Amino acid sequence: MAGGGAEALDLVCHLDSVQGMVDALSSVRWKRHQDAVIELSEHGIVLIVEEAGCLQAKVYLKRELFLVYEYASEGRPRFGLSLGLFVDCLNTFSTPGHSSVIEIRYPGPDMQLLLKSMDFPDVCTYAEIRTRIPDTISWDYHFEHTGNVPVSFTVRSAVLKEAIDDLEWPCSAVQIRIQPDPPSVTFRAEGHGDLQIDFEYYSTNDLLVAFQCDQLLSYRYKYKFLRAATSNLPSNVLKDNRGSKMTVGRGGMLKIQHLVSVLRAGAQHPFSDHMHHQPSRIAYIEFFVKPEEEDEPPINDS
Amino acid sequence: MKFKAFLTQDGVNLLDKRFLPSLDKIGRTCHLYLTRDHAVFLHNLIGGDGVQSVAQFKKEVIFRDYRISSQNEDRIAFAIDVALLHRALRSAQAIQLQSQDDTAAIQIKLVKKLPAGSRNPAPFLTFETKGLRSAVVQDVPISKPFSRADVAQLQDALDASQDLPQTLVQVPDLSQLQNLVDRLKNVGELLMLSITQYGDLHLQVSTSLITVGSEFRKLRVLGVQAAAPSGDQNLTAPTRTEMAIQRGEALSVQVSLKHLAKSLQCLLAKPDCAFYGISPQGGCLTVIFQFFIPGTRLTDKSISFHCRLPVLDTGSS
Repeated sequence: MAGGGAEALDLVCHLDSVQGMVDALSSVRWKRHQDAVIELSEHGIVLIVEEAGCLQAKVYLKRELFLVYEYASEGRPRFGLSLGLFVDCLNTFSTPGHSSVIEIRYPGPDMQLLLKSMDFPDVCTYAEIRTRIPDTISWDYHFEHTGNVPVSFTVRSAVLKEAIDDLEWPCSAVQIRIQPDPPSVTFRAEGHGDLQIDFEYYSTNDLLVAFQCDQLLSYRYKYKFLRAATSNLPSNVLKDNRGSKMTVGRGGMLKIQHLVSVLRAGAQHPFSDHMHHQPSRIAYIEFFVKPEEEDEPPINDS
Repeated sequence: MKFKAFLTQDGVNLLDKRFLPSLDKIGRTCHLYLTRDHAVFLHNLIGGDGVQSVAQFKKEVIFRDYRISSQNEDRIAFAIDVALLHRALRSAQAIQLQSQDDTAAIQIKLVKKLPAGSRNPAPFLTFETKGLRSAVVQDVPISKPFSRADVAQLQDALDASQDLPQTLVQVPDLSQLQNLVDRLKNVGELLMLSITQYGDLHLQVSTSLITVGSEFRKLRVLGVQAAAPSGDQNLTAPTRTEMAIQRGEALSVQVSLKHLAKSLQCLLAKPDCAFYGISPQGGCLTVIFQFFIPGTRLTDKSISFHCRLPVLDTGSS
């Protein structure tokens, strides 16, 4: 490749699962035009998206996901780009049923993010994505636990997605109530009609797979943010029967964590020979959702 | 003006499974041009600015007992709705299958009939399927057959569309190209396509925020070719293309990605190979599909299918 030796670059990495990266990034793509900030470090790549100071999502792509990860920067380079374009662009590199290897480099001569396919000598796909100076993150999503015991529960991702989908029709904010005795979680929406979904730890422990709570907590969250945090999960998360962990922090800040497989095409099955790759072939997705203001009336707040 | 013929079984399969689905994707309405020797389906050759396509069959491929007569050198042309034609053909085929009788043949003919509730007779292409016990007639409405002047214009446009680009490159994997083009559609609307005489095909979409491209090298070249300059493998695809254009060994055109995607719907006709070329002054992008005689690698000369994409801007000029 002409222009610029590798020593001048902050990052050169090779990835053999473009589709996995597309899946991971798509899970935080809740609208067509969305700005994202990418942060590079020796540990991997983090992509951050935010909405209205109330919702933040992060995708962690650890360096172990990459075949090659050469990081040579003193600081932690950050740049902004359009998430939609990045995903659409990555999609042009993915061939169905074929695991393509791509090289990602940063920065290009004009601070671009550079991508190049590495599979065949005579077929080459390349891309240059313009980056911009990132906006400062408008709100610090510093997450603190409420007490000594973190209040959290883990529910099957597919079940969580279905529950949130169902909560759409009352058209209101969703109250999430978590109580230690009896150990249960309730999702409730009151608007045009009421809908309540209960997960009781003892009776539905195949759905609610883990539960930890020492105090009753109840907060309300905007429906569109909960939906943004669950509706774009790739199908493999649902198929692999993975769990999503929800933790309620100080002030009602809700953290939702998903795990997305970043497997090579052809090694999709978790019990295949590539089992030993499994722990490192996961992208971590985190959403932080701020609760509704408490002084708002409890219903008809839309 | 008279036309009637029986459809051969191969013809029915060819149209039903391959060509009509593909032609329908290119455009809902096409022109059907029948001559003494050929049946030609044409899109946008006259009065259209979209993708032009020409699918030409020797009459024996589709028909038997082919009878055509007109005062215009036995040439007949009219516009027809591809989806309706396909529906009529499919249901005729279903009746033929039900009758479980090889003699149940599908005859098509040009007729003029009084449509229900109308006083003026209108032209139809009629499908008649006779089984042992039943006969079914289906009328597909068509436009008024072309006048002598219109037929002449169509023939001229058809002749003009046969001009071959000087250099053609063979794209080995059309589904790979189709996959790429489908994804590039999300990135931008315009595509720069370059073809070098060394056998490189380079596609690039560029907007103010992003540039995405793909280069296929060392493709088979037909027509004018040149040896690739040594040492160019270390250059980037855009640089390589730029240098080839400067040397006069490449042409580059800008086309609509929508048009390119549409032309790739020709894949539904299951061509065996495809060639891309740019006409000399960068007037259009030509895609030529070839079909092999089943079981061989020999080109079936009785079927020809090609598309021409309008050029939005000649990149090389």
